[in-house]
This record gives sequence, C-alpha cells and structure tokens, in this order.
Amino acid sequence: MSILSHIGKLSRHLFFAALALIMAFPFYWMITNALKTNDEIWQSPPTLWPQTPLWGNFAEAWHAAPFSRYMGNSIIVATSIVLIQMFNSGMMAYALTHMKFRLKGLFSGIILFGYMVPATAVYLPSYLVLSQLGLLNSYAGLILSNCVSVFSIFLIRQAFLQVPHELVEAGEVDGASHMRILWTIIVPIARSSFAVLALITFIDQYNNYFWPTLITKDPSLQLVSAGLRSFFVEGGAYGLKWPLIMAASAFTIAPLLLVFLVAQKTIMSSVNMTAGSSKG
Amino acid sequence: MIRSKFIGGLKPVLFTLPAMIPFTVFWLGPLLYVLYLSFNEWDFMSPEKTFVGLDNYINLFSNPAFYQALRVTALFCAGTVIPVIVIGLGLALLMNKKLKGSAIYQVLLFSPWVTPTVAVSIVWSWIYEPEIGLANTVLSFLGFEKLGWLQDPTWALVGVILVTIWKSVGWAMIFYLVALRNVPADLMEAADLDGANPVHKFIRITLPLISPTTLFLFIVQLIQALQAYDQINVLTQGGPAGSTRTLLYMYYQSAFESFQIGEASSIAMTLVFICMLLSLLSVIFSSRNTHY
Repeated sequence: MSILSHIGKLSRHLFFAALALIMAFPFYWMITNALKTNDEIWQSPPTLWPQTPLWGNFAEAWHAAPFSRYMGNSIIVATSIVLIQMFNSGMMAYALTHMKFRLKGLFSGIILFGYMVPATAVYLPSYLVLSQLGLLNSYAGLILSNCVSVFSIFLIRQAFLQVPHELVEAGEVDGASHMRILWTIIVPIARSSFAVLALITFIDQYNNYFWPTLITKDPSLQLVSAGLRSFFVEGGAYGLKWPLIMAASAFTIAPLLLVFLVAQKTIMSSVNMTAGSSKG
Repeated sequence: MIRSKFIGGLKPVLFTLPAMIPFTVFWLGPLLYVLYLSFNEWDFMSPEKTFVGLDNYINLFSNPAFYQALRVTALFCAGTVIPVIVIGLGLALLMNKKLKGSAIYQVLLFSPWVTPTVAVSIVWSWIYEPEIGLANTVLSFLGFEKLGWLQDPTWALVGVILVTIWKSVGWAMIFYLVALRNVPADLMEAADLDGANPVHKFIRITLPLISPTTLFLFIVQLIQALQAYDQINVLTQGGPAGSTRTLLYMYYQSAFESFQIGEASSIAMTLVFICMLLSLLSVIFSSRNTHY
C-alpha cells in the first residue's frame, strides 16, 4: 500500500514537473531566442541554447525604441489609477456597507449591472465622451477613464462587510467623522484586501492595451504593451529582427514576473477574495 | 434640526460620488449613448447624425459577416472557457492531495496570467512561425505534418485559443484549489464510512460543493472571452479570411477602422445583450443547482 502511494506521489510529481516545464517553456524560449544572432534564430532545427549568447541584444533592443518612456508611462498611469481606485472604492464600499441612505439599493444595482456589461462594448461612446472633454492623448484621459472599477468596489465591499458595525458606532459616539472612521479604523482592518486591489489593478493597468491604444495616438504617451507592439510591427518589421523582438518582450514581461514572485502570496490570495466577492 | 438631517442624508451620497461620477461619465452614460447611436447613421466626421430607426440592426442581422463573427465568437468562447474550467479543476484535484513542493508548480502554472497578453502573444507568434517555429518543430519531431498555424484559416483560431488557455488555466486551478480546501473533511470521511467510491464522492459531494466557484469562473471567463482583443490583435488581426474575427473584433474594425458608427454601435448592443443573457442564464441555472 505504501509503495503504491509512493509511486502515485512520484508520478504526480513527474506529471506536474513536466507540465510546469511546458507551461514555462515559452518564457525560456523567449530568453534564449533573445540571445541568438539573426542567422542562428532561423536555423533548423532550432538550438536549445545559443552558440554564443549575445547579451548585448537586450541593450540594443532597449535603445531601439523609447522603452524607458513606455515603461515610465505604464508605471505612472497604473500607480495613479491604483491610488484613485483605493480612495473611491473605499468611500463607495463604506457608504454601501456602513451608512444608510435611500439610493443605496439603486446604486448597488447599478454597480452589479456594471459587472455584467462588457467594458469593451462602451469603448466607442467612451472615446467620443473623452474627445468631447478634450482628454484624448493625455495622461488625464488615460487615468480618469480607468479610475473606477466595479471589481475593486466589490472586493472592498466584501471586506467591509466583515467589519462589525459596532466599530463604526463606537467611533461615532467618540465624535469621529465618517471620513476618520473609514480611514483610521476600517481601512487598516481591511488592509489585505487593499493590498490585493493595489496589486491586481496595477498589473491590469500596466498591461492594459486595447483602450489606451484607442485614446492615445501620440507615441510618447504609449503604455508599454502598445510600445512593444509598435516595435514589433515597425522596428522589428515583422520577422526581420526576431532576436530583438524577443529581447524587448523579455524586458516587458520581466518586471511583472518579478512583482509576481515577490508578492505571489498576496496575488494568489486574491483568488480567495474574488471568489468571495462574487457571492456577496 | 432639519438641516442636520438633510446633511445626514446627503453625506452617504457624497461618499459615493468619487466612484459614481466617473462610473456615470465613462460607463453608464456611454452605454446609453451607444444605444442611441445604434439607431443612427454616422461616420465620425459629418456634423449630422441621421436617425435610421432599426436599420442598423436589420442590416447587421442580414450580413453574412455578422454570422461568421458570431460563429467564431461561439467557438472561441467554448474553446477557451470549457478547457480552462475542466483542466483547471483536473489539475487542482491532482494537486489537492498532499504533494510536497506543489507551491513551486502553482507559481509556475499561475505565472502566465500576470504577464502582458501583448508580450506573450508576440512570443507565441514566433513559436507559431511556420518554417522553423517551435510548434512545427515539435510537430514534425513527433512525426506529424507541419501546420500553417496563424496563416491557415482552419488552424488560426486554434492557435489563438491555445494561447488563451495557456494564459488562464493556472489561474482557474488556483481558484479550484481554494474551493477544494474548503470542502469539509468530515463529509468525505462520512462518505468513506458509507462505502462510497471516489467517482461517486466526486459527483455527489465535491462537485456540488465547489459549484459556486465553477459558476464564478464560468461567468468571468465567458465575459473575458467575449471581450478578447489583445491576443487576436497581435496574432491574427481577425484573419485569415475572417477566421478569427470575433464579434468584438468586428465591432472594433467597424468603429475604428471603417468608421461606421451606426453599425459598430449595433454590434456593441448585441454584445451587451449576449453578455447579460448568458450571465443571467448561468445565474438562473446555478440557483437551481448550486448548493452553498
């Protein structure tokens, strides 16, 4: 029996090791192909490891297009959106969970409705709204149009529902304002949900592509995905400079994999919370 | 007294404004606007919109390209949502029984989900390269014929689907791992005492208990699949011959490439309708079959 269970365990290990290898292989392939020469990359059969790794390809790709600008844009926009969403989701969730008002049912209904409507469907009218507001081609447009998220509100609402209402009442008895109660009593209790909000929103917005490319035509405002894509199409000229394209993809992906490795516990715990928030 | 009562009633609304204002400006308002636009003909440039009633819808529903896009959308949704859920659950079941070092596997399988779709799609387009790409190298090594992948109308959608599954399957697995961990152990032990076999236990106990997770994953994956754009844009741009043009991609092309605002808006409303219908149907279906 114990031998059998050992074999079972071993075969499960082998299975998952093989699967993990396959799943991670595109990343390995990206890095090794980034190190090849243009001749070697077209060799058949392909080499698993480059004959002489050209580490300089990374620097060359980095300077071939304004990638530092693209990454900077992504970081600025994503960080601003995270901060605004933490603020407005906190306020909204507090009103929905610990305050009484007439429109509460209506507002909850509207937000729930927003959960079901595909955001991409309203890209065309949102584009027209942004152009009316004169916010096309601007950081403000990129940030404001993404500054509210139904997911974030749900996530924080779920966390606030766990906080006993007595804490709010005690605060009121002490004469604290709702703002004070929210930010000094409730938010610290729900900090793990805010951490999840920050990480998930940052990753989403850093990677965001479709909407930003619609509303910013100016190359100096492009986020990193759009910048990489135009390098792929123009600079890389579709397949003429594959090693450089792979190198550029690698340094686009690297910061996110790094964030993920550092904060994997928090990111994976988001699963717990999102699954929970869907029930509420 | 009256004043303070008024302020007391106003304060909660003030708290909702930082979220409700952008929500109204960039979501609710545009939704009504796109509904209005779908009854008009407009090309972005001319100052006048022409009211055409239901013409946009009538034209759309008699356009063969619409039905092709609908078919591609259905295939793409079924081809990504079902495998992601089934494989995700399968992997979670395999991993759920104590396995040392499974944290490493979890991290590796989950990692594609955090990476930018555009960047990984570019990597995959190199893997799909027909002459010496990795996919065809592996195929010919295994003794199969090489495929045209993204250049071939019969395989392009499969190529896009594979990338999409690769990206989300680890994510679904983590959801199921959490759900499986919450299945009470004493319930399983009781079933063991009753002599239930593993298949029976799975169908009668595990599956119903994790059904809220299945519902959640189904809806989220479905809405994501209906809105998939990045990988299609990088890998195929809807081609070849429209074989990867989903409804969303058709909407994008008619709005931002051919500037047929009326047609685009009617596609958008169709998408909204499909999304809401499917979400409602799955909620109704699950409220009959879900056990919390």
